[in-house]
Amino acid sequence: MTNDVIIIGAGPAGLSAAITCAKHGMNVVVIDEYYKPGGRLLGQLYEEPDGSWWNGIKESDKLYNQAINSGVQLKLSVPVINIERQGTEWNVFTNMETLQANNLLVATGAAESPAPVPGWTLPGVMSVGAAQVMTNVQRVKPGEKGIIIGVNVLSAAIAQELKLANISVESMTLPKINSMNHDYAIPKNVVNSLLHVSHLSPSPIIKIGSNLMKYKLINKLALKFYPNKGIKMWDIPIQLKKAVTQIYGTDKVEGVTIANVDDYGQIIPKSEKSIEVDFVCISGGLYPLAELAAIAGCPFYMIEELGGYVPLHNERMETPLSGLFVAGNITGIEGAKVAAAQGTVAGLSIVNNTLNSAFEFELEEAIKQVRIIREENPIQFHPHIQNGRKKMQKYWNEYFANNQESFII
Amino acid sequence: MSDKSMIICRCEEVTYEELIETAEKHKCSARELKLRTRAGMGYCGGRTCRNMVESIPRQYLPNKEQLGLVTLKYQPPIRPVHFGDLGGDET
Repeated sequence: MTNDVIIIGAGPAGLSAAITCAKHGMNVVVIDEYYKPGGRLLGQLYEEPDGSWWNGIKESDKLYNQAINSGVQLKLSVPVINIERQGTEWNVFTNMETLQANNLLVATGAAESPAPVPGWTLPGVMSVGAAQVMTNVQRVKPGEKGIIIGVNVLSAAIAQELKLANISVESMTLPKINSMNHDYAIPKNVVNSLLHVSHLSPSPIIKIGSNLMKYKLINKLALKFYPNKGIKMWDIPIQLKKAVTQIYGTDKVEGVTIANVDDYGQIIPKSEKSIEVDFVCISGGLYPLAELAAIAGCPFYMIEELGGYVPLHNERMETPLSGLFVAGNITGIEGAKVAAAQGTVAGLSIVNNTLNSAFEFELEEAIKQVRIIREENPIQFHPHIQNGRKKMQKYWNEYFANNQESFII
Repeated sequence: MSDKSMIICRCEEVTYEELIETAEKHKCSARELKLRTRAGMGYCGGRTCRNMVESIPRQYLPNKEQLGLVTLKYQPPIRPVHFGDLGGDET
């Protein structure tokens, strides 16, 4: 069966694009491997700087209802295993069937990087996002008392959510340094990334940030004056001078060994002590989940500010492959509101390309809207996101300067 | 438990020590590290350890220009799928 548009990913980007396309009379199908629509929105629950609450489940419901009312077809619990271009059509292979469309939007979002420490394979150790889904989506306590390894915007937000669910969090702390985790195990690097986000972020980070600000802005000083017992955020100590050296337990998590570390993440000898916990959350941050765009043959660039390898795209959410679009966290790690705005752009791009550029004005306006939302967004996962976006635009211009033919057919 | 015996690739049970020693000895790319150790080649398709396998060789590559160029490849199917669903018949 042939559709006008296939969208992979039912998160804020995918659903916003679907609504836009459907409202312009296009036949749209959205596929997601999870059994509920909403993507990473589902787990989100936090206080906005103005004091109102952002409830991801409600936001997901709104988008879902709008999509259904606009005539969008949703296929949930369906993993896409491959995509392939044939003539002017994209073939989308799921585990059940193959779908075809002239326009394909890949809005697969982000995945979590683990922060491995010895013992991380024990039952009871989970990514911080898994703890979030258990708590906020499935309403199951991940445990009675846990510890979070990895201090970043995502893990700080989820620490608050666990606290709201009455789950005890011993502390947030760093992992022991190894060859894979310098970005998030070395206190200097962690403080640096937290200081940059502080002035824009919602309450969790504002609190960490403003507390650090008291100790002068320069990160070396901030760290020097960072108290050994940590700074508390809703009674959860944020430890930037301690690291978990191992997670122990016979058949499951029974506790962690924690030690003091210097500014460079090196363990201070004989400072180890044990803390009993029954679950451990690990967080090495988020990276764009771009496997489908890679299989399709889209060129990739490593842009640290965007969170990893990102498929080449422009502000219209087009890739160099004809009929292939991207939107949301696959294009760089940002908040749900930016993702939704990008989804609207992708939807308008598809409509505009199909209807002989009749929606050029609306598209330009939607692109402006993305920039505005990005500037106003309280959640900045990377302090230099704007630079990352500029780099991508530069790569796009260079790519088309070097490749005379416009789009890859 | 020490760092050395820490499992990085759960599917193929490849340890941190094995990855570090291989990267140090062969000064190889992430792809070569994967092929030598089988890290990232198990049934999950490398969804858990991919970034870790990619980050280890960075410190041991003599030519830093190789960085970013050689990345681990993706290939279909990108999610586990029954052979039957891939096109086999019921008989």
